[in-house]
Amino acid sequence: MMIFLKKSIVWVGYLIVLLILPQFFDSVLAVSIFNQMAIAIVFALSYNMLLGQGGMLSFGHAVYFGLGGFLAVHALIMIESETIYFSIIWIPLVGGLFGLLAALFIGTFSTHKAGTVFAMISLGIGELLAASSLIFVSFFGGEAGVSGDRTFGPSFFGVEFFQDIEIYYLGAVWVFIATLFMYLFTQTPAGKMANAVRDNPERAEFIGYSAKQVRYISFCASGLFAGVAGGLFALNYEFITEENLNAATSGRVLLMAYIGGLGYFIGPILGAVILTLMNSLLSNYSDLWMLYLGIMFLLTVLFLPRGFAGFIMMHQLAWVRHTMKSLVVPYLLTGLPALLFILTCIGLIELSHTGETELNYLGFSLDPTAAIDFVLLGMIAGSSLLLTKKSLPQLRKAWESANEIPEDAPSEKLE
Amino acid sequence: MTVLALNNVTKNFGETKIIRSVTLNIEQGEKHAIIGPNGAGKSTLFHLISGLYNVTSGSIHFKEQNIQNKRPYEINRLGLARSFQVTNIFARMNVFENIRCALLWSSGYRYSFWNFLGRQKELNEKTIQVLEQIGLKDKMLIPAGELAYAQQRALELGITIASGAEVIMLDEPVAGMSHSEAQNTVELIRRITEGKTLIMVEHDMNVVFDVADRISVLVYGEIIASDAPEKIRVNAQVKEAYLGEAATNA
Repeated sequence: MMIFLKKSIVWVGYLIVLLILPQFFDSVLAVSIFNQMAIAIVFALSYNMLLGQGGMLSFGHAVYFGLGGFLAVHALIMIESETIYFSIIWIPLVGGLFGLLAALFIGTFSTHKAGTVFAMISLGIGELLAASSLIFVSFFGGEAGVSGDRTFGPSFFGVEFFQDIEIYYLGAVWVFIATLFMYLFTQTPAGKMANAVRDNPERAEFIGYSAKQVRYISFCASGLFAGVAGGLFALNYEFITEENLNAATSGRVLLMAYIGGLGYFIGPILGAVILTLMNSLLSNYSDLWMLYLGIMFLLTVLFLPRGFAGFIMMHQLAWVRHTMKSLVVPYLLTGLPALLFILTCIGLIELSHTGETELNYLGFSLDPTAAIDFVLLGMIAGSSLLLTKKSLPQLRKAWESANEIPEDAPSEKLE
Repeated sequence: MTVLALNNVTKNFGETKIIRSVTLNIEQGEKHAIIGPNGAGKSTLFHLISGLYNVTSGSIHFKEQNIQNKRPYEINRLGLARSFQVTNIFARMNVFENIRCALLWSSGYRYSFWNFLGRQKELNEKTIQVLEQIGLKDKMLIPAGELAYAQQRALELGITIASGAEVIMLDEPVAGMSHSEAQNTVELIRRITEGKTLIMVEHDMNVVFDVADRISVLVYGEIIASDAPEKIRVNAQVKEAYLGEAATNA
């Protein structure tokens, strides 16, 4: 009962955060970023149903997102032409149903095996769809894509959805519902067996479950929610193009889920938030943001294999033991020089990239033609790297002592 | 009543004949051990019965149903559960989830995505019971992959017996265990297979003669003798092929 209560509080908190966010950040830019986040969260969570929960590495998850999105836009067009008559609040469901339909069909042959076979099929289907989108122009609209208008159809209690903020609240409700259902799925027999099949498909067959059937169910659920995300996309942007179902979009959702942390339900949410922020904010400051994103992905894979969520969860033990305090100083001693190193490296990259005669970086004015600026930055980078390296042993020691299990203490349980 | 019947079963891997011809009937309630030197095909035989491998020829009947070349999950659903020689668990899930998953199918949940497991009181209580049986209740929240070896073997056994299958097949259940660990495991096996049919591959002769009431000796893919333990002990052919070796080694 206590656990149930605790969990309910988390969910209520999540809903409140979703609903009050625009009260604090109400600029047009902020709302547009929130809308992107909402789409990304549902999409990344649906991807994690495959990879994190089910052990299926997909390079073509945008197929279900895109197909859902395309059908959603067509539904908008049909609402506009009064072929069908319902409120646009149901558009994400239309997208979801089409994503599910596509997964129901494709899953029949793609879920026999996980691993390389599954990955290759997903890549093939992705390419196939991307190619067809330029062939079947009446559905996909060719390179220009298709566009609709969300302001038709019956109004929802007087709301006509002219403004982005109205779409945000609609999206927030859908995000909440989708997140809740995806979480609940992990608590069902099908969801738990997805974990079991991920860990050991062979053994799963010896406890009565067909590994293929278990994967197929996860795959379909994942397609459904990817389609919901596609429907949200359609509502937000009112148009969709081939780009939304091609390999680049599939790659982006993989990055989100991975950087956030595959093993944790909250991981993809973190990843979606981080990547959307980088995408929309960083791109204002530097056209090299894709490079930084790539480096971040690399560093995550190398040093935080369980993603940001994994990094946070690493501290669970120290948190329970109240030893977090002892970690603050060592973290600062390592983190500050590391941050300095990263910033100077970025400075060096920007300095060699810039076409201007002067680079304004973090309040400093740097001259790309002056060798001295390069040397100076290089020296700071070198010494901060050295400092970081020197501070590592004390961090490791502090970490060990914070997580040390006392010999005679009764074994603690992590819940 | 014969619960499992193998009739002229053979298995080839390419040109190599691993199982030459095995005919074996196992009665309900029997505790049957399969022994034999390394490479005799004991594990292969297990894989054939449990559906991991397809037979090359011959037939296998389980409770009068033809099961050769059926998928492992189909065979398992009929009431045959097996363990593995190399620990085969769900490493990233915790111990509790491992056992609960093993209970799901036999408890009738199938592929349900509308039952919430946290609410299934009976299922969760049953999971705890199995955990108590195998002595892992206080480790139930630890990821299975982080358990010590003997505990992983206990979990392996727990996953096998959780479903309550009437035929239990154990592939070297005490391999790699210390003497006292092995003794505990034998006790455990005895307890959990009470009233059930047990088929076991084991190298430890103490365990075999302790547990089994019939022993089959498999040598180069053929059963050369299948009899009560005391008769196997004195069988000249067996002594030559297998026990003699083991005795001098010991």
